[in-house]
Amino acid sequence: MILAQRRPDRTLGPGHDTFWQWCGQDELRLPRCRTCLHLAWPVVQECDLCKSTDFTWERLSGRAHVVSWCSFEKDYYAGILPLPWDTLLVELEEGPLFISNPHECGVDIMKVGMRLKVAFIDCEDQAGSFRLPVFEIE
Amino acid sequence: MDTFVTNRMPPASPEFARSTAIVGIGETDYGADYAASRAKSPGYTAPTPEDLAARAFERALSDCGLERKDIDGLSTSFLFGGPAPDEMARRLDIEPSYLTEGEGILAGTLPMVCADIAAGRCNTVAMVYAVASRSMGVQFGGNAYKAAPAVPSSYYYHHPWGWSSQAAHWALIARYYHETYGTTDADLGAVALQLRRNAIEAPNAVMQAPLTLETYLDTRFIVRPLRLLDMCIVNDGAVCLIISRADRARDLPHAPVLVAGWGEAKIKHDKLDGLVRGRLRPQLQDAGRQALQMAGLQLSDIAHFEGYDPASIHLINQLEGYGFVEPGEGLAFFQSGQAAVGGSLPVNMAGGMMSGSYMHGWNLVAEIAKQLRHAAGSRQISNVKTSLFSLAQTDQVHPIIFERGA
Repeated sequence: MILAQRRPDRTLGPGHDTFWQWCGQDELRLPRCRTCLHLAWPVVQECDLCKSTDFTWERLSGRAHVVSWCSFEKDYYAGILPLPWDTLLVELEEGPLFISNPHECGVDIMKVGMRLKVAFIDCEDQAGSFRLPVFEIE
Repeated sequence: MDTFVTNRMPPASPEFARSTAIVGIGETDYGADYAASRAKSPGYTAPTPEDLAARAFERALSDCGLERKDIDGLSTSFLFGGPAPDEMARRLDIEPSYLTEGEGILAGTLPMVCADIAAGRCNTVAMVYAVASRSMGVQFGGNAYKAAPAVPSSYYYHHPWGWSSQAAHWALIARYYHETYGTTDADLGAVALQLRRNAIEAPNAVMQAPLTLETYLDTRFIVRPLRLLDMCIVNDGAVCLIISRADRARDLPHAPVLVAGWGEAKIKHDKLDGLVRGRLRPQLQDAGRQALQMAGLQLSDIAHFEGYDPASIHLINQLEGYGFVEPGEGLAFFQSGQAAVGGSLPVNMAGGMMSGSYMHGWNLVAEIAKQLRHAAGSRQISNVKTSLFSLAQTDQVHPIIFERGA
């Protein structure tokens, strides 16, 4: 059995909870504005473009490509995460940029444009256990 | 006395151009205070923001040659807490009729004060800013950042992936830049090296030790690809700028430093894309154009640049974004010495925030005032008449153009 990874706390509340509930079913879904069709990330209470509050939770393909990456050598999270800590910036196939972690590889092999796909891993924070979307080489 | 909250940026209208001037500057002893805060000798007590602000105010008052009774406005900017403006006025022993509270960093606060002076609300405003970041142990990442109305979501939203901090924003840009333009860590080091050389010529700058490329490359990483020396320092201090009507400034001891133009632009959506791939270029172009139009100047009229440098790469974003150099050429600009005194556009002449003092842009404007007074000593840019200050955060930019007055 693989133990859940301890992570810094999620932002929770209306809308944010919906995102994590879908992750719990291994589905990556983001809110799309029904009025102007803009896809939001991070989750917002009103559309950044048209201010509408009417969203539909669209299931995404999970495909993405690499935009950038960085690796933390300074411990910003009081020992919760091992160092160095690799993070990725990917562009989801549907458009939004998404910060995540590389899954089963490090950032040292990354190239801009490299194709990735989403995976979900068991994690926990102070609010409980959850499934976290991360990205692996396609 | 009413306190106005400084959160509305006045329009970049030519009617405001050159109607106000910086007539007094005061700064605390950045280098000496930093050394004392690290040494923590017996009896050392950490300064409070109001102590620091009061020291800067006394120096600015003495510098401009005015009396306390001449100061009829006070603007306070305490980034990590400080007294209310009316309390600060009592502490400074002044009785201003105009009080404002700024947002801390030097963004819209200065244009608003200038517009209010131009509108006749007051004649002479002391703008005091202070931070005790170091004494307070302010951390610029991790769980220090939580959801709050004034905090951009990129500061806290990605915690579950272990991504946060000021440095992390700049690190994603730096990696993208290196991959796009084929530049290296050693190329980026040219920024830190040049700012250190500048700091060594500025007696009040925190960092005075010579820096070599080898030392830079040996320094520990904070967030790869950025090292400690790609980041601004963290120190305590204060700046006071005394702003007056331009027609009154002529009677004062120093050449007036006219506020000639300003602009503002913000990323409105898809912030990460606008920051990492866009590198704020559309915002820098837009706000820069506003400021130049207000001042009636061309970009080529700018002979000196003081840009917000929380990290080396962000200074490059601004140099390229305003159009001083083409995208991808900013590091070569530093490597070839064009950003040094005597180069085509000297940059951050007192070492900026990376080697000079982390005063959230206020130190950069103080350096502009010294340069335009032609009182910058060994680092003086020969016969400089026009300087551009740029405040650029992760999602918004505020350029201000200053000009040497008659």
